[in-house]
This record gives sequence, structure tokens and C-alpha cells, in this order.
Amino acid sequence: MGILLRHRVVATVLLAVLTLAVVGCGEEEKGPFRIGVMESVTGAGETYGTVAVQSKQLAVDEINAAGGINGRMLELIVEDSKCNAQDAITAYNKLTDVDGVKIILGTSCSGAMLGAAPLAEKEGVVMFSGLATNPDIAEAGDYIFRTSLSDATVGVDTGNVLWADGIRNLATINESTDYAEGVRRTTTAQFEKLGGQIVAAESYPTDTTDFRTQLSKLLNANPDAVHVASQAEASGGTILKQLRELGYDGPIYADVVPIGTTALEIAGEAATGVKAITPDLDPANAKAQEVLAAFKEKYDYVTLPWFLGSAYDNIYITAECLKKTGDDQDADGFRDCLYDITWSGTIGDNYSFDEKGEVVGLANAVLEVLPVAERTEENGGYRVLGAAPSN
Amino acid sequence: MSIATGAIRGVQEVARDPRSWWRRSKGNVELWANLIVLGWALVFMLWRGGGFAITVGSVFAIWAILAISLNLVVGYTGLLSVGHIGFFGIGAYAMAVLTSSASYEQLRTEAIPTFGWPFFAALPISVVLAGLVALVVGIAFNRFRDDIYVLVSFGFAVIAFTTFLSWRNLTRGAFGIHEVARPAIGPLVFEGELEFLALLLVFLGLVVLISWLIVTSSFGRVLTAIREDEEAIEVFGYRTTHYKLAIWVISAMMAGLAGALLASWSTFIDPNSFVLLESILLVSIIILGGLASIWGSLLGALAFVMLEEGMRFVPFLPSEFIGQIRQVILGILLVLLMLFRPQGLVGRFKL
Repeated sequence: MGILLRHRVVATVLLAVLTLAVVGCGEEEKGPFRIGVMESVTGAGETYGTVAVQSKQLAVDEINAAGGINGRMLELIVEDSKCNAQDAITAYNKLTDVDGVKIILGTSCSGAMLGAAPLAEKEGVVMFSGLATNPDIAEAGDYIFRTSLSDATVGVDTGNVLWADGIRNLATINESTDYAEGVRRTTTAQFEKLGGQIVAAESYPTDTTDFRTQLSKLLNANPDAVHVASQAEASGGTILKQLRELGYDGPIYADVVPIGTTALEIAGEAATGVKAITPDLDPANAKAQEVLAAFKEKYDYVTLPWFLGSAYDNIYITAECLKKTGDDQDADGFRDCLYDITWSGTIGDNYSFDEKGEVVGLANAVLEVLPVAERTEENGGYRVLGAAPSN
Repeated sequence: MSIATGAIRGVQEVARDPRSWWRRSKGNVELWANLIVLGWALVFMLWRGGGFAITVGSVFAIWAILAISLNLVVGYTGLLSVGHIGFFGIGAYAMAVLTSSASYEQLRTEAIPTFGWPFFAALPISVVLAGLVALVVGIAFNRFRDDIYVLVSFGFAVIAFTTFLSWRNLTRGAFGIHEVARPAIGPLVFEGELEFLALLLVFLGLVVLISWLIVTSSFGRVLTAIREDEEAIEVFGYRTTHYKLAIWVISAMMAGLAGALLASWSTFIDPNSFVLLESILLVSIIILGGLASIWGSLLGALAFVMLEEGMRFVPFLPSEFIGQIRQVILGILLVLLMLFRPQGLVGRFKL
């Protein structure tokens, strides 16, 4: 072997060993609890994934600053699941095989969650999400939990609100993503069950920027109200704006997206009076305000407050369960702890998990967007009308 | 073949006279590209070992089949297609729909037709279906060349994606399809990851063999001639449209095969896996590895997967930004590579 080549080999090996040492340090017996985090920090679900990771990191830093869990620190290992099944599977395998974690928090995209969930279920690894909302996740298995509300509940509540508001003929427009499509579908089902009629329905692919043709078609059907289900804030905001530009002055209903900061900025005055049916942080909940303030302090922005709070709560629930089991490798104990736990945190009081790992005890709220002049950073641009009527 | 004998001869030379070998080889970029990529893959496997290497290997095998299939069209025949992700998707959806079991009905959302076929029955259909679509599309595409070809294939990728997303009562739209069957031969079920990797490698070997037979045959030489000068080869009496159509269909069938394998491997697919961006990524893989070279496609796919997955182990980055930084570094590396080595690692032809 050539002398220079040997140098190169030696250098490579040295480098590998060095990296191994850096990555591997702190793995001794009384080291930190190691928890995997899988979020879509790049790709389609970027906003959601980034907020989730940052919010979780915030909670972990607080816990560690306060002395950790029974004296042991909490450590997150973050992987990008990119909002699609294939990348979620590689991220999952990296976390379980290489890092050896048994508890994974995430993911923010339902598609990614459904890709990795069968593996987690088979191998007995807990997956615990604060953001995924696809109704199919309820059936994903015994080890799959979430604090996010299924689209099904959002849809049912929206249908009820529409009916209670005296809407009888509804037009819908939705983005073609699993989330928006799920909201549209369950809303429609509940609304029709109550006796309402869908007079027009349109859907659009992600990244559409002009909706005038589709909206005109909706308005030609003369609906009492229009329901907008979008996933991207940009499209949600644009739809509100173009609806008003087309001269429509009836009521508009929406999911969470059109009341996001970006969407309100795009829509401006056109968003005024729009009703959104979505889980929301209770303004009277001091803990929630505290978390939002701390997040703002650390990252200098706030978006998607409910999801932020949900991800934050996930860490504290995890910490509580680790306190009980005392072992981050004990997935079964962790799972049982989740089934038993009743939690009061940022997103609500006394919530728990049912036998499908779905959260119970949280409710959607009905929000109304304020006129531009009354929108402030504190109120987020909307006011809470109350909890969604349940049936 | 030549790779193996070449490697053996190389090792013998190094053993005989290391100094003169070094003098002659230090400027040989191809050799170093091979050594670095393979070496890194080996180090990675030994270092991270076991389960994760199997996952990475599976991803590599799927991308390698895709890359080879595209290289036949882009590298050998000179038709720059960015639409191959469409055939990948057709294969995947055909597999998912054909093997779908009645357990879907338990899911809350709308029912899609269920066939419940076994993997090995659905596989040939998936491949043939991708081929049939390619045949129809190819007849239209044959009217175009060069830049226009890029645009129409771009159009095809967009149409395919929209179809997956919008044909809801077949593909379940954005919800995706769950519980795609794993292959089984009698009592032998490829449930474990290692067994599945073995199966993937068998298919990869098959694709390599078929491609090698194609490019070394007289048929393959006509393809290369089409790439160099289509008019000239037409003057010699070759109906170039037939040749272009044939390789297009063969290539699409291989992409369909890769898609079917992906669906079975991940057991869940949704339209997000077949966006245009993945197509662009695929084109960069074959350019990275080298056009008109089967080995280049393998090396490109390996380099790409190792880059992507290897970047997971870059330490000292704040966890909040690790995903974004991964993308940025990957982008920079690709730019640098194209800057200093535009024909790719072991390429024979430059676009």
C-alpha cells in the first residue's frame, strides 16, 4: 500500500473514531434520557415541523435547567422526516437502530407518521405526536399516541357550527392534502347528516395562486356560506382575499390555517369576520401565555400557537412518564403510563388518552377574525367566540 | 466483468510497485471517486452497522434501479427526461392498489377497490402498466427533441402527480394507501428488512444485467449513435423513432419496477413521494454519477444516499436547524461537484 494512501486511510479512520467519540459521549449508565424526535423540518410541512422542534427544545431546556428528571438530563435526537413516508422510515430506522431510542416524539406530517407507524407498532416503539391530525392514525396501533385532535373532530364540530348558524346551502373549497381534504370530508359528512346541502365543491393542488375561476363557480351556486380548508397559509389568505374581491359578502368558515399570521397579512381586511373552527389556546390559561412568551423570548417569533403548545406539552408528559418508568428503553411502561395519565398543561386541563391513543378532553373553539384596526400581536388578530357546540 | 478484473489488476499493481502506481494514479479522478464513495459506504456500514445499514441499503437499491433506468434514456440515448418519477409512481400505485386488502374498509375514509393480489402477481402487472403508459406517452414524445423534450417530460411528471392526488376513488388521494403487501413465496414471507434487502439486490442485479446487455448490443450502439447525431444514423436507414420508443418503454418499465418495490418496502405510499422535485433529484443523481455509465448510476445513487444519510451524523449542529443545514450542505456539495467535474464521477458523456 502506498505511503500516502496509508496516510489517507489512517486519517479517515481517525476522523471516524473522532466523530464517533463526539456523537457517542454521554452514553454511560447514568447519562441523559434519550428521546427521538421526528419532524418535517424541511419539505411541505416545514412551518409545522420547525415550530414543533423549537417548542420541544424550549421545554427540554427548561426541564434540564430545573435539574432534569430525577437528576438525569433529557436529550432530544432530532431527525427530519420531510413530510413523506419514505424519509420517515429512514429517519425512524436511524433513530431506533443507531441511537437505540424506544420513544419517538413526532411527526408533524400525517403522511410521515403513517409511513413509520407500522414499523413502530411492529417493533414496540412508542410514537407520540403533537401535530398529526389524519383520522387514520387512530387505527395505527397500540403504541401510537397524539395530543392533536383528529380532523374528524374538527369536521364534526365545523358541521355543527354551520348548522347552528342557520347555514343550509354550503360551498366548499379545499387544498388537496390529507389534512385539508380530511377536514372538508368530515365537515361535509356532518353537515349533510344534519340536513344541509353541499351546492358546490372545489379542490386545488398545493402551490395554486389564483382561485378566481374556482371561486366564481362556487359563488354561482349561490351558497349561504363558503367553507375554506387549506393547508398552506398563503393559499388560505389568498382565497379569502379573492372571495371578497369577487364581491362575495356572505359568511366564510375555515379551519385553523386562514387565521395564521401570514394568511391574515395576505387577506388584510378581507379576513374580517371569518369564523375558524379549530383547537385554540385558552386566553385565560396563564400557563399557555407563559409558554408563548418564553417561545417569543427564545426564537423571536410565534406562529401556530396551539400546535406550539401541543408540542411543548408532549415533552412535559414525556418527562412525567420517564419519572415514573425511570428508563428510556421501557417502551411498554411508557405506553401504559400514557394510557393512565391525565394531564393539565398548555393546551387544556385534564386531558387524557383513550384506548386508541387519541386525546380526549380537549375541545375545538370557534374563533372570529377581528377588523385590521383591532388586530394586535397579543390577540393574534381574532377573538374567541366559545367552545364549538358538541352533539 | 471489466470492473472486477480491473479491480484485481489494480490491487496487483499496487502490491507490486506502490510508488509508480501512486505516480500514475494520483490524477485519476475516476479512481479516487470510486475509492472515496465505496470507502465511505464501507466505513459507514462498519461504523453505524446493523439495522440502519440495511435501511440505507434498501433505499440505495431502489434509487439505483431508478437511476439506471433513467440513464438508459438520458445518458445513452440523449433524451433528457425529468418525468421518470411518473413511471415510478405508476408502478408504486399499481402495486399498492392491486395488493390492497379488505382491511381498508376498517378505515374511516372512503373505500377504494380492493384486489388482494399477492406481491408476485402484482409485480409484473405494475411493470407492464408503467410500460403501457410509456408506450402511449412515448408515441407523442417522439415528436420532440432536446429542450422541448425536457418540457414535455416535465409536463408528464406534473400530470402524473396530479392524477395520483386527484383520482381519489382509486388512489385515496392525499390520504395515501396503507398496508401494501410484502412479498411472499409460499411460506417464505419477506417480512424482515434483511430479506427484503436481499430481494431488492436480486432485482437490482437483474436490472444491471439487462441494461448491460442492452448497452453492449447493436441496439445499444444505435442508441448511442442517436445521441451523437440522430440525422446521421437515420441516413444509414435506421428508424430512430422505433429505437427511441423501445428504450423509453424499457426504461419506464424499470422505473415501474422500482416504484412497485418502494410501495412494498415502505408499505405506505402517498402522492408526496412522487413530486417533481424527486425527479430533479434523480436527474442530479445520474449526472453526479456519470452519464452513459451503468456503474456511474450505481455509484451516483450510492454517493447520494450516503451523502443524505451520512449527513445525519454530522455532530455539533443545533438540533433546531439540523434538517435545513443538511439540505444546504447537500446543495453546496452538488454545486461544487458540477463545477469541477461536470461529466460526473465516472461519466462518459456530458450533456
